Amino acid sequence: MTTVPPTQDAVPAADAPRVAHSLFAPDKRTASRNAQESRFRAYGLVAIVIALLMLVWLLFSIFSAGLPAFRQTFIEIPVQLEAAVLDKAGNGNPVEMASVTTIGYGKLIGRALTAELEAKGIDIGEMTPKDLVGMVSENAAADLRDMVLADPKLLGTTVQFKALAHGRIDGYFKGRVTMETAARDNMTSPEKLMLADKMVAAGLMEMRFNAGFLTMPDASDKRPEAAGLGVAIIGSLYMMVVVLCLALPIGVAASVYLEEFAPKNRWTDLIEVNIANLAAVPSIVYGILGLSFFINFAELPRSAPIVGGLVLTLMTLPRIIIPTRAALKAVPPSIRDAALGVGASKLQTVTHHVLPLAMPGVLTGTIIGLAQALGETAPLLLIGMVAFVRDFPGAPMSGLFDPASALPVQIYNWTQRGDPGFVERASGAIIVLLVFLIVMNTAAIILRRRYERRW
Amino acid sequence: MKDIRLERDVQTETNKIEARKVQVYYGTNHALKDVDVDILDKTVTAFIGPSGCGKSTFLRCLNRMNDTVASARVEGMITLEGENIYDPRVDPVQLRAKIGMVFQKPNPFPKSIYDNVAYGPKIHGLTRNKAELDEVVEACLRKAALWNEVKDRLQSPGTGLSGGQQQRLCIARAIATSPEVLLMDEPCSALDPIATAQVEELIDELRSQFSVVIVTHSMQQAARVSQRTAFFHLGYLVEYGETGAIFTNPKDPRTESYITGRIG
Amino acid sequence: MSLGLLFLTVLALAAIGYAVGRRRAMASAGGDMRKLHSLPTFYGWITALGVLVPVLAVSLVWLFAEGFVIHNSAITHIDMAEVTEDSSVNLMMADVTRLAGGLSVLEAAGTDIEAMKLDIEALKTALGDAGVAMGNDPTPGMISAAEAVRTTGKWSRIGLNVASLVLALAGMAWGLRRITPEFRARNATEKVSLGLLIFASLIAVATTVGIVLSLLANTVHFFSIYPGSTFFFSPTWDPKFGGGSTLGILPLVWGTLYVSVISLIVAVPIGLFSAIYLAEYASRRVRGIVKPLIEVLAGIPTIVYGLFALITVGPLLRDWIALPMGFGNSSSTVMTAGLVMGIMIIPFVSSLSDDIINAVPQSLRDGSLGLGATPSETIRQVVIPAALPGIVGAVLLAASRAIGETMIVVLGAGAAAKLSLNPFEAMTTVTVKIVSQLTGDTEFSSPETLVAFALGLTLFTFTLCLNVLALVIVRKYREQYE
Repeated sequence: MTTVPPTQDAVPAADAPRVAHSLFAPDKRTASRNAQESRFRAYGLVAIVIALLMLVWLLFSIFSAGLPAFRQTFIEIPVQLEAAVLDKAGNGNPVEMASVTTIGYGKLIGRALTAELEAKGIDIGEMTPKDLVGMVSENAAADLRDMVLADPKLLGTTVQFKALAHGRIDGYFKGRVTMETAARDNMTSPEKLMLADKMVAAGLMEMRFNAGFLTMPDASDKRPEAAGLGVAIIGSLYMMVVVLCLALPIGVAASVYLEEFAPKNRWTDLIEVNIANLAAVPSIVYGILGLSFFINFAELPRSAPIVGGLVLTLMTLPRIIIPTRAALKAVPPSIRDAALGVGASKLQTVTHHVLPLAMPGVLTGTIIGLAQALGETAPLLLIGMVAFVRDFPGAPMSGLFDPASALPVQIYNWTQRGDPGFVERASGAIIVLLVFLIVMNTAAIILRRRYERRW
Repeated sequence: MKDIRLERDVQTETNKIEARKVQVYYGTNHALKDVDVDILDKTVTAFIGPSGCGKSTFLRCLNRMNDTVASARVEGMITLEGENIYDPRVDPVQLRAKIGMVFQKPNPFPKSIYDNVAYGPKIHGLTRNKAELDEVVEACLRKAALWNEVKDRLQSPGTGLSGGQQQRLCIARAIATSPEVLLMDEPCSALDPIATAQVEELIDELRSQFSVVIVTHSMQQAARVSQRTAFFHLGYLVEYGETGAIFTNPKDPRTESYITGRIG
Repeated sequence: MSLGLLFLTVLALAAIGYAVGRRRAMASAGGDMRKLHSLPTFYGWITALGVLVPVLAVSLVWLFAEGFVIHNSAITHIDMAEVTEDSSVNLMMADVTRLAGGLSVLEAAGTDIEAMKLDIEALKTALGDAGVAMGNDPTPGMISAAEAVRTTGKWSRIGLNVASLVLALAGMAWGLRRITPEFRARNATEKVSLGLLIFASLIAVATTVGIVLSLLANTVHFFSIYPGSTFFFSPTWDPKFGGGSTLGILPLVWGTLYVSVISLIVAVPIGLFSAIYLAEYASRRVRGIVKPLIEVLAGIPTIVYGLFALITVGPLLRDWIALPMGFGNSSSTVMTAGLVMGIMIIPFVSSLSDDIINAVPQSLRDGSLGLGATPSETIRQVVIPAALPGIVGAVLLAASRAIGETMIVVLGAGAAAKLSLNPFEAMTTVTVKIVSQLTGDTEFSSPETLVAFALGLTLFTFTLCLNVLALVIVRKYREQYE
């Protein structure tokens, strides 16, 4: 038989040599390639393990530093509210009683402690009543004073007074303060620490769950034991309400317009790029905007939740618009066509049909946007929220204009203070913040799983 | 158009691939049942049948591409030159150097034409130096009837070629490792008639060196191009035999129904 | 009337308008709904909108302009001679505001204001008792300024209330007058609604405009009182309140870039390899667990990372690496901040890369596997080169995030502006200095404060360029596969 030459050019002789050997015999080169394959796979796994380990390290570090903040050392003793000291004029006039400062109340506490320790048979050695006052928080005298001024009838009676122990004592029980450091410390002494041990044994002092951490306002530098998140939580809450009430409607309205009504031309393209960029702008730039527009130009009060809320709204707006547009886009055009076919107007189509179907995606995006806003610190610093705020802001709406703090700002504030007790407070506050965020994100995930449709 | 059924002096009698009692499951779905077939050397074997009958599935068993699908399970025996390719000792990587594949939609890599063809020999370490590699690339492009069209632009991207040229590039790429068998999964379904004719001509020339298995949903193409045909239906291999016999004198009534157009 | 009460009143009026409008519409059709052009509810809506929209528009403008107007009215009372050397007009105005607030509090408590104003000492004591803290003692000029603040504020609020109520009623009347059966209430309502939607969209645009304007205006002001050459080229950053500061951006930019580079060195390999493993090798179950976990890293607020850097990573690096090897003794270093920031941006690289790698068509992988390549060869030689533009875009976005980050560097890197190669030294960044120059009592005409805006503009421009570049690259890449 003749072989007919192929129609294309002559086939050259060179060919890759055929892989001639058996499939069962592993090729050396293939073996090394397989080894390379295993190594490569291992790199990927190692990378994931490293990333997850970092997460665990971070959470462990914060939790171990912060969980102690939820327990606090308290002293509970009977205090005799001697009229002779507190009401020198003797006529029960609150205004005049107010002239007795915390020093006077402090003396009473000292006396009460001396009496109680003696009654329990605890030897106080060389310590004077003034030294004993150093066992309780410096806030205690102020608390006692507030209690008496609020109810002058207590005068002359003996009340069972629950006071926070001094920060250093609390630190001793939590391991921060040792006998060695106490010897060098001018706020406590080894004698006080030993006395504290004896008081715990006698049942006068104990560690309890500290709900005050969540409800009390901030305290000054020397009193970490009395510092609480009350003002910060209310401030953050107010701001979240402002953001929700403003960003959600505006964001949805803008998304609806841009997705359903706006003509597709260069301008809307520009707006889309603009919004994508706004979502990636560093948050500190929003702080600058808030400072120059809301504070400087509109003269809104510094450190007020309304300003924080407005700044966070502007920041959250792009983060709501982007997922909302995606949710609207995901609704198939066939639904819109069906509604229009029955004679609904475009706006009716959107509000009756498209928007309800897109709602799960919108709400998920909003919750996630709110969660991100809750954790933002930098813009709030610039609008003045770093100030020390002791008073709770009032009720809305005017309360929105009172000075307040916010959770992340309070955390930052506490990290800037010298007392190591504040590190524990800051970490504890982070735990609270993380709990809020976990709740919000879980809600978003449940919402998404339960209600999101896959078209 | 020249008739390409030419006489060639080739050995067609040896079995290259033998399949015995092959079953394929996708999860609980029994997709292929009891397939027994012999693929002969230096022959074009066509798999025909209606959509979803399992011909592509079986094709992908031959080079163990079903391994990449998590839910696929293959039972039975498939041997290449006497060695069971599903033996645990066999590395699919080595297997696929011996059994090449061309896919339905041309899928050149986003690399230059040269690099596309050189990819296989490079990873398998088949050439010793650049000069040898250059020769291999040129040889394969010539065999794929593409050399004259691209010899001046070997560095330009493979994705810049027309559909028919891309498919021929994929064929060149597949034969660059000098496989024993070339599997083709509906290689012309994405091409226009002229490109189709060029590829069919190519297949006929390739059979002098390789054993070719082609899946096609066009009976006319099977009749034009193959020497042996297997008809699949609902996961079964219904009939296998010489192409001429299948199309003029089918033994099974289902084959006849398909060929006359009553089913499929 | 307080703002809250005014708001509720207007809402109530709108509700009344809705009800009346609806009823009027039904009445005009003789009770037969079909005779009306639109559903009765739209007649109600158009009336309610007639109440709400003008009032909202006017009050918004009024409230924002109010501060400006009050400020101007008060400032005329301040005698420039009274402005002491170490104070300034703005600080004085802050005191004036507090004084005004204090006077209102005293007045509400029943004190005789007029007598107080003549006796500065008594006024000071009374203010102290009321809990009002002032920076400087009240001077006669300040007192009259404070009175101006109170008066203007009072009249402004009265004006706002009156204007709102008048507008509300006028709006209701306008709406009601137009109600006839032929009136196309639905169309009118929809037109107004569309206008509101457009307004909402413009807020997003307005934000950008606002950002650019506020940055530009103050930067221009800055460069008019401080030499630009020093700002851009001086290697020293030494602000001194009271003049004589050297404000060079170079050490800050150096610190920013150094920290960002370290963070990318940490995040890109880990993020990219995680993405490759998750996209190519991991089973669906593993992917379903691991991917959300890595994204948790992105959801943790940056203040948490900052504290982590401050109390854990910083001391660890100092005690185990810097001190033993003699590199430095600070726990707030570039390395600390860079490491922690790297951890934070891992999910940015990994999530985006994962999406991009998944977008590479399966046919390419099949083609490579069919030739007998191992999965790692396929990934390295086919998939990654195909995905490269997208991955580059992802890295750019991560870099932009790192550059704009504030809290991690505030807490982790320290405040010392230096140009040093040692990563175990404290160096600071642009963002830290923006915060430090703008917190506390800021004097808006001094270069030390205005420089923060110049820094902000630099930061904004740089991140804008990175973001746009990343967007363009990712878009072009997407076109290639669609």
